Amino acid sequence: MLIRIISLIFIILSFAAPAFAQSGTDPKPLIDALAKADFAEAETLIGQIAATGDPKVVPALDAFSEGDLYFRKSDSAVFIGKTGDAGLELIDPLTGASAGPTSKSAVTKIRVNNNLRRVIDAAKGGLTLMSPDRGVRLAAADAVLASPSPENLALVEAALAKETDSEVKARMQEARAVSVLSSDRSVDEKRDAIKTIKSLGGRNALGILNSVSSSIDPSLKSDLDSAIGSIEAEQQLWDMVQNVWYGLSLGSVLLLAAIGLAITFGVMGIINMAHGEMVMLGAYSTFMVQEVIRTHAPGLFDWSLAIALPVAFLVTGAVGFVIERCVIRFLYGRPLETLLATWGVSLILQQTIRSIFGPTNQEVGNPSWMSGSFPVGGMTITWNRMWILVFSLTIFFTLLVVMKKSAYGLNMRAVTQNRRMASSMGIRTPWVDALTFALGSGIAGIAGVALSQIDNVSPNLGQSYIIDSFMVVVFGGVGNLWGTLVGALSLGVLNKFLEPSVGAVLGKILVLVLIILFIQKRPRGLFALKGRAVEA
Amino acid sequence: MNTIAETRTKSLLYLENVSVSFDGFKAINSLSFVVEPGELRAIIGPNGAGKTTMMDIITGKTRPDSGTVLFEDSIDLTKKDEADIAQLGIGRKFQKPTVFESHTVWDNLELALNRDRGVFGTLFYRLTPEDKARIEEILETVRLTHRAEEYAANLSHGQKQWLEIGMLLAQEPKLLLVDEPVAGMTDAETAETAILLREIAKTRSVVVVEHDMGFIRDLGVKVTCLAEGAVLAEGSIDFVSSDPKVIENYLGR
Amino acid sequence: MITGFILRALEGKIVAMIVVLVGIAILVPALNLLTPPDSAFHIPTYAMALFGKYLCYALLALALDLVWGYCGILSLGHGAFFALGGYAMGMYLMRQIGPRGVYGNPVLPDFMVFLNYKELPWFWYGMDWFVVAMAMVLLVPGLLAFVFGWFAFRSRVNGVYLSIITQAMTYALMLAFFRNDMGFGGNNGLTDFKDILGFQVQADGTRAVLFALSAIMLALCLLVASAITRSKFGKVLVGVRDAESRVRFLGFRVENIKLFTFVVSAMFAGIAGALFVPQVGIINPGEFAPANSIEIVVWTAVGGRGTLIGPIIGAVLVNAGKSFFTGAFPEFWLFALGGLFIAVTLFLPKGIVDTIQHGFRVRKAMKAAAEAEKGRVGTDAVNPSAAQAAE
Repeated sequence: MLIRIISLIFIILSFAAPAFAQSGTDPKPLIDALAKADFAEAETLIGQIAATGDPKVVPALDAFSEGDLYFRKSDSAVFIGKTGDAGLELIDPLTGASAGPTSKSAVTKIRVNNNLRRVIDAAKGGLTLMSPDRGVRLAAADAVLASPSPENLALVEAALAKETDSEVKARMQEARAVSVLSSDRSVDEKRDAIKTIKSLGGRNALGILNSVSSSIDPSLKSDLDSAIGSIEAEQQLWDMVQNVWYGLSLGSVLLLAAIGLAITFGVMGIINMAHGEMVMLGAYSTFMVQEVIRTHAPGLFDWSLAIALPVAFLVTGAVGFVIERCVIRFLYGRPLETLLATWGVSLILQQTIRSIFGPTNQEVGNPSWMSGSFPVGGMTITWNRMWILVFSLTIFFTLLVVMKKSAYGLNMRAVTQNRRMASSMGIRTPWVDALTFALGSGIAGIAGVALSQIDNVSPNLGQSYIIDSFMVVVFGGVGNLWGTLVGALSLGVLNKFLEPSVGAVLGKILVLVLIILFIQKRPRGLFALKGRAVEA
Repeated sequence: MNTIAETRTKSLLYLENVSVSFDGFKAINSLSFVVEPGELRAIIGPNGAGKTTMMDIITGKTRPDSGTVLFEDSIDLTKKDEADIAQLGIGRKFQKPTVFESHTVWDNLELALNRDRGVFGTLFYRLTPEDKARIEEILETVRLTHRAEEYAANLSHGQKQWLEIGMLLAQEPKLLLVDEPVAGMTDAETAETAILLREIAKTRSVVVVEHDMGFIRDLGVKVTCLAEGAVLAEGSIDFVSSDPKVIENYLGR
Repeated sequence: MITGFILRALEGKIVAMIVVLVGIAILVPALNLLTPPDSAFHIPTYAMALFGKYLCYALLALALDLVWGYCGILSLGHGAFFALGGYAMGMYLMRQIGPRGVYGNPVLPDFMVFLNYKELPWFWYGMDWFVVAMAMVLLVPGLLAFVFGWFAFRSRVNGVYLSIITQAMTYALMLAFFRNDMGFGGNNGLTDFKDILGFQVQADGTRAVLFALSAIMLALCLLVASAITRSKFGKVLVGVRDAESRVRFLGFRVENIKLFTFVVSAMFAGIAGALFVPQVGIINPGEFAPANSIEIVVWTAVGGRGTLIGPIIGAVLVNAGKSFFTGAFPEFWLFALGGLFIAVTLFLPKGIVDTIQHGFRVRKAMKAAAEAEKGRVGTDAVNPSAAQAAE
C-alpha cells in the first residue's frame, strides 16, 4: 500500500522533472533484455537498470512488479501493458508514449516472483534517493531500509553525501547501515552498522540482524548478539504496550456496554436484563440509517455514524421510557422481580428484531475514517479501536458532567438517595425515574452504534454483553461511575494479559472466577461506600 | 489504675477508647462506657451522636477501628460476629420493629428460644413441654397471649415492639440493648413499656436508647448523653438535663 | 427423630401431590406398555418421554424454590447443578457404550479417540460403575454448591449480587465445558448412549421405568423438601428470607443455614439432571447457558414460590406451553415466554397456587365478614398485594 503510493508520487514526479535524470548507460537495451531473462538473470538486470540512475525506469519496474510488463512476440520489444476496453494497450516503458492496442495473443507476460518484487522495491528505493522532494527521499530511504541490498549501497552513500535534511539523513544512515551488513565491507564498518541498526530497533531491524547472524564475521558475533538481545528486550516492552492497548481497547468496549447499566443498575438499582437488547437496538438503528443513506444519499456514508448516534439515542431512549412506564415503575424496591420482568422484555425485543430483520447478521459498513490503521512505535493501532476508545471516554465524561453539574443530574441523585424527601421538595419523581431509565437506555443505544462497527449485528448481539456489563458494574462498585470506568478498563487489560498464556476462553473463565472471588472479598466492589446507611 | 481495673472486673459490658470512622467521618470517637450487671441504663443524644453505631459495635455488626470492647471482663467482642455475640447473651432490639411477619406470634417466640441453633438441631427440633411453658410465660409478659396464633404481620405497631422484646426475653440474654422501644407508641403503651422494661431489668442488664424524655423520666435510671461519638455527660436524669453542654447539644435552648 | 421429621412433612396438599405423582408413575407406563397402540387409552412413547422431561424440570423448579421461595436466594445458576448432574449420568452412559462406538475403542469414548486422547482422564475413572456415577450425581453439584456458597454466604453476598455471581458461575462453566480439552466432549457434549444397567436406553420398557423413577424421585424430593420447610429449620429459613439480620441477632448462623439449603437444593437439581439425560439422550454445554437458568425461575414464579406444589405445577404448565408453541407457532414462543415473565411479576407475584389459595381465603373471609356484618377483617389483612400496588 505504502510502496504503491510512493511509486505513484514518483511516477508523477519523474515525468515532471526529467532534468534530474542522470546520464548513464541507456536503460532501453537492459529493459528489452528482460524479455528473454530467467528469474536469476532478471535479478541482475534489475540491478543494472537501477544502476543507470535514470528515474524514467521506475514505471517499467513498477509494471514489472505488478505483472504488467509484456514483450511482443514478433520482435521481443518490451512494453507496459494496460488492460483497456479494446484488449491490451501497449505503452513504451521509458517514454510512456502509447504504442497502440494489441491482442493478448500477440504478447507474452514477463513473469515475476516475490523475490524479484523485493529486488525491484529495493532498486526503486535507490533510484529515488536523489529526488528533490523531501518526502520522496524519506520514503525511498524507508524502502531501502525495508529491503536492503549491496547494490544500493553506493547509491545510498552518494545520496547521503548530498543530503542536507537531518531527518532524511538519519534515515539514510540507517538504510546505509542495513545495506552495509549484507555487503562485503570491512568488519569495523559493519560493527558501526550494527550499532546503527540497534538504535533503529523494531521487528524489521531484528529480522535484518537475525538474517545475517549465520553469515556474519565471527568477530562481530558478540556485537550482533547483544544488539539482537537489546532489540528483543525492547520488542518485549512493545508487546506489553500492545497488550495494554488491546486491553484498553477491550476495556473501552466493556465500558461502552456497561455505562448505561451503571445508570440503570448502579444509580437506580434496576436490574435491567434488557440492557443488552438496548445495545442491540442501537446497532440496528445504525444499520437502518446506513440503509437509508445507501439508497437515498450515498455521499453521506462517511457521516452515517454521526447521524446514527442521535437516532439510536432517541430510539432506545424511547423504548426505555416505554419499558419504565409500562413495567418497571410497578416494581421499584423489588430488584429481583425487575430482573425477571426485564428478562421477559429482552426476550420480546430479541424476537421482535428477529421477526423483522431475520436471525442472520446484518451488514453494517465502516466509514472511511474508521478503517485502516497507523503505526505507533513498535505497534499498530487500528482507527476503529482508537475511535471507540475516544468515543467511550467522551460518553463517560459527558455523563459524569451531566450527573454532577446539571440540574437534572441533581434531581436524579436526589430521587435515588431519598425518594420521599425529593418528592416532597417538589421534584416529580416518576418523571425523573422515567427520564433516568430512558437516559441509561439511550446511552446503551449509542454504545450499540459504536459496537456495530466491531461486532456482528444480529438479534443475539445484546446477550453477549449482558453478563460482562454486570460484572463490570459490580466489580467497579455499584452507584459509582468512576468505579465503572476503572472496572471496565482494568478487566479489559487483565483479560488481554491472561490471553497469551492461557488462551482466550480460559482467560475469560479466569476473569469471571476472579470477579466472583473478588465479590466475596469486597461485596460492594472496588469503590464501595462505607457506613451505616448503605447497609440498611 | 486500680479503679479502672476494678470497674472492669465488676462490669458486664466494658468499652474503652472505642473509635470507628466511615470514609473519614468519625461516627464514634474514643468512647468509653461501662454497664454493670443488673443495671438499667438509658442513652440519649442527638441524631448522628453514634448511638446506633455503638450498638452495632457491641453486637458485632460493625468492627471498631480501635479500642477495647469486653463482655464479662474476659470476652473480646471485637473478635466475634453477630451470631456468636447473640449466643453469649446479648440481645438487641432494632429501631424499626423487626419480627418475622409471615410467622405467627408463637412461631416468632419459638424461633427466638435459647435452644440448639445449629442446622440439624433445628431440623429435628420438637416442642417440649418446658419450651411450651416458657413461650406461654413470655406471651403473658408481653401481653400477647390472646394473639399467639396470629401472623405477626397483623399486629399493631406497639404490639410488634412488644413481640420483639418478647423474642429477646426468649433468648435469655444477660444484656439487652433496646433501640427506641417507644417510637410510634401511644402514651399508654409508652407507660406500659416502661413498666415492662423495669420488670425485665430485675433479672438482667438493659441499655435503652430513646429520644422520649418523658419515657426516660418514667424509667428513672442513670442516663448517658452521647454527642459526636463521645460521652458528653453521665448521671441522673436531672443532673444530665441541667448540664449546659447537654442543653446546647441536645435539649436545645 | 427421623420419623418425626418425615411425619411432619405429611400435610394435606403434599400428601395429595405425592399420591398423584405415584399414580402417574404407575399409570402412565402401564398405559404405554400394556395398551395396544390403537387403543384410546394408549400413551405413545414420545408423549411419555416428553412428560418425563417435564417431571425432571419440575424437580429442578422445586430445587430452586427451596432456595428462592423459602430462603430468598435467587440463584440464576441452578442450571449448572442440573447440567453437572446430567454430565455425571452422561459419563456413566458413555462408559457403558464400550467397544460399540464408531471407533470401537473399548475404553475411550468416541470423542476422545477423535481428539487423540491416549488414555482416560482421571475424572472419568470409576464412572463406569453405576453406584459411583450416582454418588457423583449428588456429590459434584453438592460440592460446587458447598464451595460456592461457603465463600458467598460467609462474606454475605446478598440479593442481586448473589444472583449476578451465580449467573457468572454458570456462564463460566458453560465456556469451560465448550472447550474440547476439558474432556467432556466439548461442543457436542455426550450422546449416542446405548444402555443403562444393561438395559437398552431406547427400549420402551427402560423408558417406562425411567419415567416412573422420575415421578417417584420427584415425590421423594417433595417429601424431603416438605419435611425441611415444616421443621423449625424451615421457619428459620423463612425468617432469613424476611428479616435476615433479626435471625442473625437471635444467634443463628445464617451462613450455615443458607449453605445447607443451597447444597440440598443443588443435589435435587443434580438428581433432576441425571434423570433428564437418559430420557432425552444427550447432554451438552448448552444446558449451562444462563438463559436456561433464568427460565427455571419463571417456572417457579408462575407456579408460586414459597409453596412446594407451585413450582411443580408451574414447570409442567410452562413446558407444556413451550412444547405447544414451538410446535404450532415457533415464532411466538419467545413472545409468549417474555410476556409470561412480565405478566407473572406484575400481576401474579405469588404465582398460580398461592393466588388460588388466596382466592379461597378471600371468599371465606368475605363470607365470614358478611355473616359477622363487619367487613373489617376482609380488606386489609387479606389483600396485601392490592395494598402494595396502591403504594
